[in-house]
Amino acid sequence: MSEFETVIGLEVHVQLKTKSKIFCGCSVDSQSRPNTNICPVCCGYPGVLPVFNFQAFKLATRVCLAFNCKINPSIYFERKNYFYPDLPKNYQISQYQRPLGEKGSLKLLSGKPIGINRVHLEEDAGKLIHKDNYSLVDYNRTGTPLLEIVSEAEINSSQEAFEYLTYLKLTLQYIGISDCDMEKGSLRCDANISLRAKGSPKLGVKVEIKNMNSFKGVKAALEYEIKRQAVVLEKGEKVIQETRLWDQELSKTTPMRSKEKAHDYRYFPEPDLLDFSLPPGLVAEEKSSLGELPLDKRKRLLESYSLGEKETDVLIALRELSDFFETAVKRYAHPKEVLNWLIGPFLEQVNNLEGGFSAVRISAENFVKIVRYFSENKLNNLAAKKVLSLALETDQDVDEIINSHQLTQMSDQGELEKFIEEALSDNPKAVEEYLSGKSQAMQFLVGQVMKKTKGKANPKLAREMLERRLER
Amino acid sequence: MQDLKKLDQPLSSFVQVFDQPIKGEGKSPLAGSAIAIKDNICIKGKTITCASKILAGHKAVYNATVIDKLKAAGLVIVGTTNLDEFAFGSSTENSCYGPTKNPWDLTRVPGGSSGGSAAAVAARLVPFALGSDTGGSIRQPAAFCGVVGFKPTYGRVSRYGLIAFGSSLDQIGPLTTNFSDCAELLNIISGHDPKDSTSAFLETPDFTKSLKVPVKEIKVGLPKEYFSQGLDAQVKEAISSTADILKKKKVIFKEISLPHSRYAVATYYIIASSEASSNLQRFDGVRYGLRAVTKSLADLYARTRQQGFGLEAKRRIFLGTYSLSSGYYDAYYLKALKVRRLIKSDFDKAFEEVDAVLTPTSPTVAFKLGERVKDPLSMYLSDVYTIPANLSGLPAVSFPCGFDKQGLPIGAQLISRAFDEETLIKLGSAFEESTDFHKQIPVFKEK
Repeated sequence: MSEFETVIGLEVHVQLKTKSKIFCGCSVDSQSRPNTNICPVCCGYPGVLPVFNFQAFKLATRVCLAFNCKINPSIYFERKNYFYPDLPKNYQISQYQRPLGEKGSLKLLSGKPIGINRVHLEEDAGKLIHKDNYSLVDYNRTGTPLLEIVSEAEINSSQEAFEYLTYLKLTLQYIGISDCDMEKGSLRCDANISLRAKGSPKLGVKVEIKNMNSFKGVKAALEYEIKRQAVVLEKGEKVIQETRLWDQELSKTTPMRSKEKAHDYRYFPEPDLLDFSLPPGLVAEEKSSLGELPLDKRKRLLESYSLGEKETDVLIALRELSDFFETAVKRYAHPKEVLNWLIGPFLEQVNNLEGGFSAVRISAENFVKIVRYFSENKLNNLAAKKVLSLALETDQDVDEIINSHQLTQMSDQGELEKFIEEALSDNPKAVEEYLSGKSQAMQFLVGQVMKKTKGKANPKLAREMLERRLER
Repeated sequence: MQDLKKLDQPLSSFVQVFDQPIKGEGKSPLAGSAIAIKDNICIKGKTITCASKILAGHKAVYNATVIDKLKAAGLVIVGTTNLDEFAFGSSTENSCYGPTKNPWDLTRVPGGSSGGSAAAVAARLVPFALGSDTGGSIRQPAAFCGVVGFKPTYGRVSRYGLIAFGSSLDQIGPLTTNFSDCAELLNIISGHDPKDSTSAFLETPDFTKSLKVPVKEIKVGLPKEYFSQGLDAQVKEAISSTADILKKKKVIFKEISLPHSRYAVATYYIIASSEASSNLQRFDGVRYGLRAVTKSLADLYARTRQQGFGLEAKRRIFLGTYSLSSGYYDAYYLKALKVRRLIKSDFDKAFEEVDAVLTPTSPTVAFKLGERVKDPLSMYLSDVYTIPANLSGLPAVSFPCGFDKQGLPIGAQLISRAFDEETLIKLGSAFEESTDFHKQIPVFKEK
């Protein structure tokens, strides 16, 4: 199988995070009750006209800049004509001849650049809900601004495809243009894949794969296809040019019912919209709002804080997390400690929040207090986690929480003395066992002290004191 | 309203006379005046079909911008008027409601596609009507019925709520019995509309200020290509006398050339049909209008459209679909766009020398009902003089300039620079001052 080279191109559709739809004033919230965010315009009623949402244009320009695309100074829309019930006008307003952005690239970790062929704006279609013997249409999604990002066929493995998608998504999230939530459909990906003899300049027959619901799904589908096509080619047969659907459950691709002939979309310039010129200053403005891109940030974090690659990857996977990290380290210059708390208990608790990171209210200043108190033995692990959970969504002052819940660790020998004595006198059997050499009994005794102090005792100190007392 | 229905019986110019007319609240010089609306402009809550079976029973869910403007000006909307299905035609015979008749001769067509609006105004059933003009659909029926029909500059009047035929050509405009009414109505319906991206960001001038002002030294071109073969001799003569009357008012005439206009009809049928083929895709039975009972999706589309669209609509959908198809796009659609630019640049050149162009509106007077139905090409040629203004986006007006020996009205057309509707109103109202063609009222009879 090693004699084949894999050639992959990816087509990503991403919904832009605007407030309203691309050609009307309806909200883009497609999660609402079906057919509630609709109007005559997005439902294609007779006589309506589209009006272009400038915000979509700004966000799309930002994407082009993030991938170093050449931006066309003047764009126009075209109609892509085809009949489908989720497309109320039976044409989609899209871009064909002159996309907004062309000839960009995205660098993989290895430094290998993957070319971006085109970035263009269009309107999303609605959703079909199929029932037993009928189908329903939800037009809430219809008219959501959609950006199509098409890579060059320069991806040579499923791993590269996975990485391309990961950094593409991260970049789009960093520049704040989309949620990129594949489950909600705000990011969708189709793949084109072909195999050719290694060294051959001629591309093989390509197969389009659709219906992948996650990046892992894309990777698995590509791996399946590589094997499938290799088998076909090794037998000396020809790969059929077709569209195949990825079946997550069966872990295989199956041919979509073959189209009798290629679609003729009859593209032509949309007469209801005028040509649109890039307003002066827009590129500069969007460039300045780009901020640091994920791979640049990764490199800088690795160098500035001497972190491990794995931990850094966890940090940068969420822009807000890595921003929080840097703010926290400014206030408490122990990057390792901060990192451990962030990617440990903090992230775990954030992931359990309903709104994820957007629900986090704790300030970096308040947060580092917890890290510091833990390191100073003022809080034990359990108490620190509890304080964190209480402050996470409220930003209530950590000192206040500790006081009101009396969570300060008992690290004073005089204070602990009484509880040590009680634990010993209440548990003569355990004492006897310990003295006869069963060291596990010590664990039990420490536990008793923790219980009596309602978890506040410094467990290390309690153990030391117990050991010392039983030596006598 | 019962009277209106009765008066209209010999003509069938209306498709609906509202039991309760829609009375606007606002004030304007036209407040309280009755107006009829072509049945392809949306009036909220009212049935709108474009004279097509495919929209059977469809009620508009919103008001077209012009309807809001009429209401704000206090006009009274009394009903909707007949048209060729989706404005495809020049005779108002391609209508699911049957043809409208010409009030000057009930055996003849009123022209089209705004034939209902033109006939209703000519018969003095209403003083005002709105039509739409894609290739002459306001001006040609105005000429056939002896009224003033004005197509504003593309972008002067919002298209929001006008059911699209050829989006890059369509324009709503007034049909009235005289220029004074025309100017008043233009004042009301013009202006930028944020809901129509192609509407111009321009202040609307007070068009009534152009009424009856001196026209001395306004330069008017007579394009030689518009007076050659195919033009009826009596129509030709009427245009000559129109020029003579204006010459007496010191209007300066000169011969000009618009060489590419001869390709206008062919160019127009490619572009307008291409846009129409796409615009009409939304009529599929899924959301509104006619829905064929079928078992599969493909069948739903096919049967609904087969049953819903008339012959001419199907012809144009085929023509447009073909012109946009891969392999034919360059030879037809793209070529047509290039010729369109040439036609427009002829006008640009002409307007370096003249302020307006005078032509016949149509090569003939109103033809007989049924005469051209089976010969689409001869039907298409009745718009040969009106189409170039649409392809060039220019304002143009047809006004009554005489009668032929049978007593049928003849229309003259004036075209001016983009957004210079004022020159048209100046010339037209000056002509009207010296003539009484516009004051003739038809008696319904068969000639």
